[in-house]
Amino acid sequence: MPTITLNHITKIEGHAKLTLGIEENKVTVCQLGATEGARYFEGIVVGRRYNEANELTSRICGICSCAHVIAAITAIENAIGFTPSEQTIKLRELLTLAERIRSHATHLYFLALPDYLGYESAIAMAPKYKKELQRALNMMKVGNHMIKTLAARDLHPVSAAVGGWLKLPSQDDMDAMGKALDGIKKDAEDTCKLFFSLKYPDFQTEGLFFSLKSEKEYAMLSGNFCSGDRCHAREQYMNHIAEFHQEYSNANYATEDGKRFLVGAIARLNNNSKFLSPNAQKMLKLSKIRLPSQNPFHNTHAQAVELVHSIDHALEICKTLKIKDEKIPQIPIKAGRGVGAIEVPRGTLWHEYVVDEHGVITKANIITPTAQNLYNAQEDIRCFIPGIVHKTKEQIILDVEKLIRSYDPCFSCSAHFLEVEWV
Amino acid sequence: MLRTFLRSGMGMKALYVFGNEHLQEDAMARKVAELLRGKVNIVHCRSPDDLLEADESVITILDVVKGAEKVMVITDVSRLKTGNMMSLHDFDLGFFLNLMQQLGQGKTIKIIGIPAEGNPERIAKEVERWL
Repeated sequence: MPTITLNHITKIEGHAKLTLGIEENKVTVCQLGATEGARYFEGIVVGRRYNEANELTSRICGICSCAHVIAAITAIENAIGFTPSEQTIKLRELLTLAERIRSHATHLYFLALPDYLGYESAIAMAPKYKKELQRALNMMKVGNHMIKTLAARDLHPVSAAVGGWLKLPSQDDMDAMGKALDGIKKDAEDTCKLFFSLKYPDFQTEGLFFSLKSEKEYAMLSGNFCSGDRCHAREQYMNHIAEFHQEYSNANYATEDGKRFLVGAIARLNNNSKFLSPNAQKMLKLSKIRLPSQNPFHNTHAQAVELVHSIDHALEICKTLKIKDEKIPQIPIKAGRGVGAIEVPRGTLWHEYVVDEHGVITKANIITPTAQNLYNAQEDIRCFIPGIVHKTKEQIILDVEKLIRSYDPCFSCSAHFLEVEWV
Repeated sequence: MLRTFLRSGMGMKALYVFGNEHLQEDAMARKVAELLRGKVNIVHCRSPDDLLEADESVITILDVVKGAEKVMVITDVSRLKTGNMMSLHDFDLGFFLNLMQQLGQGKTIKIIGIPAEGNPERIAKEVERWL
């Protein structure tokens, strides 16, 4: 076997890099790091009023802006001791589901699928796979439309607020969203069939699969942080999730009680599959994967199954929720600490705030899914390489890219993610 | 959908406007659009996904073209420079329009490209000729 060096590095849209060294089939260096500059959001919100955190932190990401809004609101309400109405919670669920539909459809078809079909990009695929890409656009359109309807914007939503909603959807809006969701049910089922038909590398991660887990639903805004029966109360998350730095990365890495772990759709499926909608259960049976799966490549399967579930769940809310004219109440402020944890497209998102008696934020902590996955993804690459080292350099690169992309990281990798030097 | 209904109901051609009013080099389309208000239905777009809701057979877009010295009309979207689709953040206008054209959705794309700098009134008059 030749000695090879997969040496540095290219940036993933300027935000991440991978340095790999391989000698005699052994990985000598494996460093997956984010090179994006620190963004200081946790510092920016300190000194601001409690009801500003959601709008400020939504700017962390244009893809997951709804997620940050809901996580921030949940954490702040937890800190000041406010309990939202049932309607408010249902509409927050609906917004979170809409973002998940949009994000999963985009990731599956425009990032993952070209890898598996051997194309450079979705545009290159388009002449042969029009029907499939149109399916993705159909689902994205519905997700976008729902977010605009609920939150007044498709990016960086403004209607969701601490205490409730600044503007409520009408019953007609709910009906229109339900009708639109009905129209993409088949698209989601066909997505499952397509992604189940692809061939995935056989690989088992040593990481634990963590997600929120509830005793009553496919957890999204509720539940504790669990891997199987190993559970942590959400308020205690910092007693278990430890963040640490590496000199080659500007992003933090994380462990759970000293062990590596991952979050995301496959973790949710492993922990909560019994609460999937009947249609999603049916789809899961068509899949060849058996749960709990230890294969991170199955995150793609899981996202496809979640598309079906998310549409069903959103449809149920649209059909059953009767909109009442609720105003945001006057909220008495009290000092406190609050944690918000929600399941967003890429995994569990944490927001934590400490608010003083004047309603001013004095401390903030945010941990994104990608930060939680980074260490496990790096160690997965280290374990994955020996099994593929016999392949050509192009195949090795593609397989490593697929592995990274299966995590659906927010700094996803490019078509030419790795520059390879063979020595 | 509501927005689409309003656009049709207003009986005016829609003009999809891209740009960022906070960036000097990307603000011209928004300034020009304001001068065209009442003549066309201005739809400010925050992301290319906004075009998913466009139901016109000819989608007319107003945007700044880097390096352009005069108003130009682009109908061949393959001329647009697109980067690799690396992450969901790269789902940009060029990628999206190319994809729409590849998918052959039966829509014609007309991009009215304007310079980043110049007199907005003069540019607006030129744009109006192409609407």
